Amino acid sequence: MKMIRKALAVAIAGTALLAGTASAQNKPIEIQMWMGLTGLGGETLTKYGEEFNKMQNEYKVVVSFKGQYPEQRAAAVAAFRAGNPPHIMQMFDAGSGDMMGASKAIVPVSEVFKRAGMQFNPGDFIAPARGYYGLKDGSLLSMPFNVSTSVLFYNKDVFKKAGLDANKPPATWPELIAAAKKIRSTNAANCGFTTTWLAWIQLEQLGARHNLPIGTQANGRGGLNAELNFSNPLFVKQVQTLVDMQKDKSFDYKGRSNDASASFQSGECAMITQSSGAYGGYVRDAKFDWGVAPVPYWPEVKGAPYATTVGGASLWVFNAPNRSAAEFKGVAKFLDYLKSTPVMTDWAKTTGFLPATNAAFKYLTDEGYYAQNPKTAVAIGTLANGKQGEHTGGYRFGRWTEIRDYYHEEVEKALQGKQSAKEAIDNSIKRGNAALRAFEKTAATN
Amino acid sequence: MQRRVIFNEKLLPYLLLAPQLAVTLIFFFWPAGQAIHMSVLSQDAFGQSVTFVGLDNFKEVLGDADYVKTLWRTVLFSSAVAVTALFPALLFAVMAERVIRGATFYRTVLVLPYAIAPAVAGVLWLFMFSPSIGIVAYGLKKLGIDWNPKLDGSDAMILVIMAAAWKQISYNFLFFLAGLQSIPKALLEAASIDGASEWKKFWTITFPLLSPTTFFLLVVNIVYAFFDTFGIIDAVTNGGPAKATEVLVYKVYYDGVHSLNLGSSSAQSVILMAIVIVLTAVQFRYVERKVHY
Repeated sequence: MKMIRKALAVAIAGTALLAGTASAQNKPIEIQMWMGLTGLGGETLTKYGEEFNKMQNEYKVVVSFKGQYPEQRAAAVAAFRAGNPPHIMQMFDAGSGDMMGASKAIVPVSEVFKRAGMQFNPGDFIAPARGYYGLKDGSLLSMPFNVSTSVLFYNKDVFKKAGLDANKPPATWPELIAAAKKIRSTNAANCGFTTTWLAWIQLEQLGARHNLPIGTQANGRGGLNAELNFSNPLFVKQVQTLVDMQKDKSFDYKGRSNDASASFQSGECAMITQSSGAYGGYVRDAKFDWGVAPVPYWPEVKGAPYATTVGGASLWVFNAPNRSAAEFKGVAKFLDYLKSTPVMTDWAKTTGFLPATNAAFKYLTDEGYYAQNPKTAVAIGTLANGKQGEHTGGYRFGRWTEIRDYYHEEVEKALQGKQSAKEAIDNSIKRGNAALRAFEKTAATN
Repeated sequence: MQRRVIFNEKLLPYLLLAPQLAVTLIFFFWPAGQAIHMSVLSQDAFGQSVTFVGLDNFKEVLGDADYVKTLWRTVLFSSAVAVTALFPALLFAVMAERVIRGATFYRTVLVLPYAIAPAVAGVLWLFMFSPSIGIVAYGLKKLGIDWNPKLDGSDAMILVIMAAAWKQISYNFLFFLAGLQSIPKALLEAASIDGASEWKKFWTITFPLLSPTTFFLLVVNIVYAFFDTFGIIDAVTNGGPAKATEVLVYKVYYDGVHSLNLGSSSAQSVILMAIVIVLTAVQFRYVERKVHY
């Protein structure tokens, strides 16, 4: 035993030495990648960087965490202004409009591959992600990586306690309201239903699910002069529903972003509309029987339900005056590695995000992964296999993170009883459009 | 015989001052200068189009009804934090001053919270009062109180005021204790001989003699609440719900980092800079001269 260990140690030391001399001979080109993920996702992505470095010795990828998406973006902006941005930056869905406005700061990912002389087919990516991050001519601005969509998680134990059918989750909003009321009247849980990512789910995903626009110019993807127009009574009705349900805690507001997640995990809230990316966390931490269902819809809307739209993040490539062609080639090689089927399938299985490429999706399906894990199939069902419409393809507005917060603030005021649901929607549109015009002014002078 | 070292060279004193001067210039004057410069520019986040706009950013900020609301909210928040931090500190100091056995122990325990980083203090309070998992929130619910700082603006405000004041109590306590110890015992003894009650002694002797300390602490606490509570607010409420806990310094951060609206954010920092200059001037001129024993 001791002998083996000693031999192993010598072997390892020898390899390290060899690797050392190799790198001394031709120093690998460093590729910086910044990510906004922590926990499991962050660890896994870092691991891919290390694996890529082991595979070849021309490039050295350094994956680092620079804070949550907004902080990381601010850091990248500062780095860009100093002339040294990261090569690759992971940016969440809502930041896409801002990135696109910075036309001189980024190199479209299709262009990166073209310059490197490497094959890149945008058609390899699943259609919803391609639509969200792509241009009209079919080329891709950024590379979809961690893809998610919204789903409904529900607590089967509470459903049983309330006398509801645990295998028949609510499919429509009226059904969800009835179930939540029943849960409250039987006191099976303190809170019937809650939601994470308020604007993303109750505004953006609601729009896609009912094929309603939230802005002109193909939801902002057609040009910078887009205006918000989510004044359809359905958006008001959605807010009014939450306000009404808040009164008896059949809905309970638990905060912005992912704050509400803990109240589902602790069993306090019986249902939650949430990103499908939360799957891995619930598998590990939820101590009760739970299920996943498609996000509900309003049956009175003609043609509903339509598909949901993508969330998550994509990878953007930065430009800088001193970037060499060799660096861009390294970027292309690493992106190529990330989108390869083994990495994509491993990513989907480990984190619960959806596979971003058709090949990985097909591989997982053929392997029987979705048949064995039906909970993970729900999200891909509504996203990729749902009915597509004119307004299901995604959104791209400048300053969208800020506009989402306007919506959060106005809806919070409505929930506090300080204004009506209609005022909440009208004010969000008004403030949002002011931000869009300001963005158009600065971006158009580029 | 007096020994004096005289440097004939003019260079040496400057050389000795240089490290401190460099730190001050690089970390204080340079960023402040940058903020002033950026406050008169309009630009996109990536700095691709930069135009000089004069005082437009200031006009926009001061003309914004939301900004004025935030200003008043900050005044309310700071006063509440100062008052909440001063009264218990005074009470504790008076009590600790009377303790004879184990005085050092009590003092150490009361000073401990000051050693805790604001963000950590914020997270501790957040956990205790979080509507879903907090132990205090659970107790409040059992008492029939509808506690939800995620939705109710007043609940959120109370929470950040308590979290911000809590750690400042220790700091105030130290100063009050020092102030109490410098009060001549003869005065108190004379009052006792004249038959004054404890209450009377406190209000006619101790409290007036403490007034310089109290004024000093009032200004320090207000400055603290104005500028140093960012970590707590960021950790506990993110300025929400519906802006209920957004104070000036949080708005600077939000507009700069989240919205990447650099012109407005810089203009706001310059306004904050003006406020802190005024407060410091008040502290040095008014407080130190006008308060008499």
